[in-house]
Amino acid sequence: MKFLTNIAPVKITLAVLAVLMLSLPDMVGAQVLVPSGSFHTVMPEVKGEPVAVDSFYMDMTAVTNKEYSEFLQDHEDWKPGNVPSIFAYKGYLKSWENTNSDEVVNPNQPVTSVSWYAANAYCQSVGGRLPTLNEWEYSAQLMDFDSSVDAQEFASRLMSWYSTFDSENIGNVGSSEIENRHGVKDQFGLIMEWVQDFKPVIANDLSLDCGTVGRMQKLGNAYSYAASIRYITRMSFSPKSTNSTVGFRCAYDVATIEEKEANL
Amino acid sequence: MKNLLLIILLLFTATNLVAQHNHNHSADNTLNAKEIDSEHSVYHLDADWTDHRGDVVRLDDFKGKPVIVVMFYGNCTDVCPILIQDTWRLYSSVDESVREHVNVLAVSFDTENDTPEVLNKYAKYEQLDIPGWHFMTADDADIRTLAMMLGVQYSKKSDGHFAHSNLVTVLDEKGRIAQRVEGLNQPMNEAKATIESIMDRLNK
Repeated sequence: MKFLTNIAPVKITLAVLAVLMLSLPDMVGAQVLVPSGSFHTVMPEVKGEPVAVDSFYMDMTAVTNKEYSEFLQDHEDWKPGNVPSIFAYKGYLKSWENTNSDEVVNPNQPVTSVSWYAANAYCQSVGGRLPTLNEWEYSAQLMDFDSSVDAQEFASRLMSWYSTFDSENIGNVGSSEIENRHGVKDQFGLIMEWVQDFKPVIANDLSLDCGTVGRMQKLGNAYSYAASIRYITRMSFSPKSTNSTVGFRCAYDVATIEEKEANL
Repeated sequence: MKNLLLIILLLFTATNLVAQHNHNHSADNTLNAKEIDSEHSVYHLDADWTDHRGDVVRLDDFKGKPVIVVMFYGNCTDVCPILIQDTWRLYSSVDESVREHVNVLAVSFDTENDTPEVLNKYAKYEQLDIPGWHFMTADDADIRTLAMMLGVQYSKKSDGHFAHSNLVTVLDEKGRIAQRVEGLNQPMNEAKATIESIMDRLNK
């Protein structure tokens, strides 16, 4: 809602205002520009070297049950029961099991229990793609803190969130109150999210044992340890995994969004 | 004001994307999981590919015969020529009567640079613009899906190059993974035997 604060002196037509008022309370489906930059990852392949990331758009919030059910209406192939086992384990959309077929339960919660293949197909269907691992991680660390105490506090909150995941009580999208400086919401606090290359090539050299975190780079910032946990958790997934804690959001090339805008 | 415009633009964009997609889909509702009789077939991937001859092909065009798949990119001048050479080594080791039935799909994951035209030059340069060999490209999402199914990992690096697995895969006549050869310069005798036994089975 803070967008409204700096437009008061500008004349806007009633129609535009109406659209705006109707749309703002429900920003589901909006995309945010994440400007280019670089960041440090915990992956050992790039010791000391920041990873450069080009500008891209990303969904402000994760894809919801409602949005996913709309996708299924047009994509029968991805309805439970129609999906061949090469694309998903049996738990696909198990969170929807005890529901009436026509009713979307928890419409504004992020969809979970979707395999990587399903997430990839969804994003392709809306003209986007899954964010790359570097894009997702870059966006996630674009957060501002008022003080190092705040940052430290956030780091502990993050760790406790990763260690006490409760898939029975996932909030609605936008409810985590965690957002990066460009307005991308809930990268932490609700679910874990698929990325395009969730198993980085380096994963071959990093066996998943108790020492793995110790061998990752310590960045000395609020995210370092939680990030290591997150990378390792992702590496343990199969693209067929259908975890009740894992959902996704889509990303878009800048050119894709600009083309669409030019066609308006 | 800028924010306001941006919000409105984005809202319309989102609607537009969805609307446009729905339109496309009605004309292209073609995944036919039921026609492919193995649950574990790579041929479930419903996508159009373009080969280095400029032809549009689908993976299941190749069903019914063994297929060799390798994923690479053209600007990779160190490792990929070895990987392509490995693939050739396997292909050429197969008994001649079998070889004519084998297709090789060399799929690039560099969609930015490896257009069908570039792949055509690449095929000619490697002297592999021959029947049975198909250098292919597609949408990023479809290439990534194939990679996931085969277990090929790749990530684009800041310098435009890719970190990637080196993997040659043999698919059986139903598109199931029959053999995987991981790493460069590996012996190919097992993969060769796999291909020949698939053809033996089909000839019975």
